[in-house]
Amino acid sequence: MTAALGEAFGAARATSPRRAGGRGVPRQKLSRRRRAEARWFWVFISPWLIGFLGFLLGPMVASVYISLTEWDSFTEPEFVGLDNYTRALTQDPVFWQALGNTFFYALVSVPLGLVVGVWLANLLNKKVRGRKFFRTMIYLPTLVPLVATAMVFKMVLAPSGPLNDLLGVVGIQGPSWLLDPVWVKPALVVLATWGAGGATVLLLSAMNGVPKEFYEAAEIDGAGPVRQFWSITFPQITPIIFFNLIMGLIGAFQIFGQVYILTSGGPDNASMMMVPLLFREAFSFYHFGYASAIAWLLFVVIIGFTALAFRTSRSWVFYETEVR
Amino acid sequence: MGSTRSRARRAGAAAVAALTVGLLAACSSGGSTGGGGGDGKVTLKMTVWGGDVDKKAYQERVDLFEASQDEISIDLQLIPGDAYEQKVQTMIAGGDGPDILQVAEGVNVYSSKSQIIPLDDLVADAGLDLDDRFGPVGTLYSYQDSVYAIPDRSGAMIVYYNKDLFDAAGVGYPSADWTWQDAQTAMEKLTVPGEQWGFAGASWWAQWWSFAYQNGAQIIDDAGRPAADSPEVVEALQWANDLAHVHHVVPTAAEYADLGPDMSGDPAFAAQKVAMNTTGFWAINGLLDVDFEWDIAPMWQGREQAVSAFGSGLAISRDSKHAAQAFAAIDFLTDVEAQEVVIKYAQDVPANLEVQQSDAFLNPGWATRDVNMAAFGESSAFVFRAPLIPEWNEMQAAFDDNLGTFWNEGGDAATQLAKIQSQLESIIKPAS
Repeated sequence: MTAALGEAFGAARATSPRRAGGRGVPRQKLSRRRRAEARWFWVFISPWLIGFLGFLLGPMVASVYISLTEWDSFTEPEFVGLDNYTRALTQDPVFWQALGNTFFYALVSVPLGLVVGVWLANLLNKKVRGRKFFRTMIYLPTLVPLVATAMVFKMVLAPSGPLNDLLGVVGIQGPSWLLDPVWVKPALVVLATWGAGGATVLLLSAMNGVPKEFYEAAEIDGAGPVRQFWSITFPQITPIIFFNLIMGLIGAFQIFGQVYILTSGGPDNASMMMVPLLFREAFSFYHFGYASAIAWLLFVVIIGFTALAFRTSRSWVFYETEVR
Repeated sequence: MGSTRSRARRAGAAAVAALTVGLLAACSSGGSTGGGGGDGKVTLKMTVWGGDVDKKAYQERVDLFEASQDEISIDLQLIPGDAYEQKVQTMIAGGDGPDILQVAEGVNVYSSKSQIIPLDDLVADAGLDLDDRFGPVGTLYSYQDSVYAIPDRSGAMIVYYNKDLFDAAGVGYPSADWTWQDAQTAMEKLTVPGEQWGFAGASWWAQWWSFAYQNGAQIIDDAGRPAADSPEVVEALQWANDLAHVHHVVPTAAEYADLGPDMSGDPAFAAQKVAMNTTGFWAINGLLDVDFEWDIAPMWQGREQAVSAFGSGLAISRDSKHAAQAFAAIDFLTDVEAQEVVIKYAQDVPANLEVQQSDAFLNPGWATRDVNMAAFGESSAFVFRAPLIPEWNEMQAAFDDNLGTFWNEGGDAATQLAKIQSQLESIIKPAS
């Protein structure tokens, strides 16, 4: 990898002036100043460039190859073509279970988190006493380290824990959350929703950016608060909702820490997700090829959902600058 | 060689942020500079897992070794247990494996892939009699008839029992003569529904496999084929599970979860919630200061006597350029003087038999009360040999993946074991 990194770096340096001259400026030569500037550009961009080529693009390309091999990380990789992919898609029931679990988690937790986030942001946007205090409190959960959160939730979600006590007050017999194959995924969703405050901050600042005149005009026209929210606030903040949707989807598909700490994928793989699965295959079973194949299948899934979100975004995301 | 090189590499890594050139230089220097090569002093890198006690014990043993000669020094690296396998794996994959590494159940992951070297010749050259020094566990870490690791720590699983609770219930103390029925009767008498349970449970492989082997079963048969669905295994597993869900003398998973986060047999025993717990030596450390009376006993028996044992060995990685020196170090570390340190810190049971039978072990200085340390020696006579196959982790996952709900909610052992058996058959390729 070192060699590849060095070559890539050298190549980038070697080709750069030519490319800059050839494409950008059709005139004769770069002036001395522009050449100096180009040089400084490469100097300043190089930390990122090296990081990207060496620690992101390099490993990515390598993992494509690894996914086509059987490799235990110790001995020489053995090329097996698409075997790992066909095995994942046709022979491994755990893969489909993990994929289903991950779908469930992403498709429930992300919309739920957004609804809660928008709701909280809207509440915090009202002029209420102690607004700053509430804003702090709602953002606070996202600052607690994941491990601490998970440990606390282990207690909260205990069969006779506080959450079930709370449900008991309204006459509901709570399940054994983390121990029950049916309820372990909803338990993870509960944990995710607890951190919805992260999105709230962004949504709140977007709400603050909505021009006051809109509301004044709407009020004169006789629009109530609900109508104002759906006709002014919501369309104006759709770009931020969209941003949170994309980031949330990507994050949810990559869920790892919560599962690793709370359940290790159990009981009976009911909470096994894609990343814990590939982690287990790679670092516990020494199947790096198969784990890489799972990683790329996950990549395809995430790209697919992101593309879908972008495609539908045209019909519901509203950019003010595009009107005209 | 290890320390100088890795230090240079770490320095290089630190420089990345500021000086990109630093990275390139440090990485490309990887193969050439080997610290401590040649005929002078040799520095070996040794990796072990554990916490503070382990760090103190291993370091003192290494210091003893360094003081005993002046050719070899050891750079000890302690890695937290849950990150150990991955860390060592990454080091080996990067061609920078430790010279000496601690191994346990996963030993044959390394040996089957030739990542640690067979030690037979080195053992013979050193004139070391494994059987004499370690007894039956001497060749525990073997693969295809070659020894790959020298036992370092080794102790049977034992029964911890709360004397106060036993006296209060008027039940005789556990012993190796107990049958399953005796054990279950005692558990029933020791249980106060919802408050106190007779036994901590047997959902860990080391626990219920002991019952299976007591029942005459094997998880992997002598030919290397999985035998997880035999009637003997089914009966043992069903009994272990029924103790919680039918007889209610063991806390269920839900009851454990209500006792606190990460609650299990060891802390529940220390909190006097369970009257008996089966685990390894390490629990002693947490029980030295409790304010109730307890003791240990050898495991009870089924149709025959059997109990699992825990331990670890020391192996030499293929990357080591100083195998002879590394073996000299292992030889010293598993000999009497260094093994006594293991007792001194109440770290574990030393694998060395002479030390295990010494007065230092039977009446340890740290004991705040009489502890029946002879239980370990007594147990070693009937320790069963766990199948340390290369696919150990996958085998464990196959059990976990199919027994989660079974342990949590109760169920039919035969059904689950049939599923496990078919998975094991696809995972395990019998050794040729």
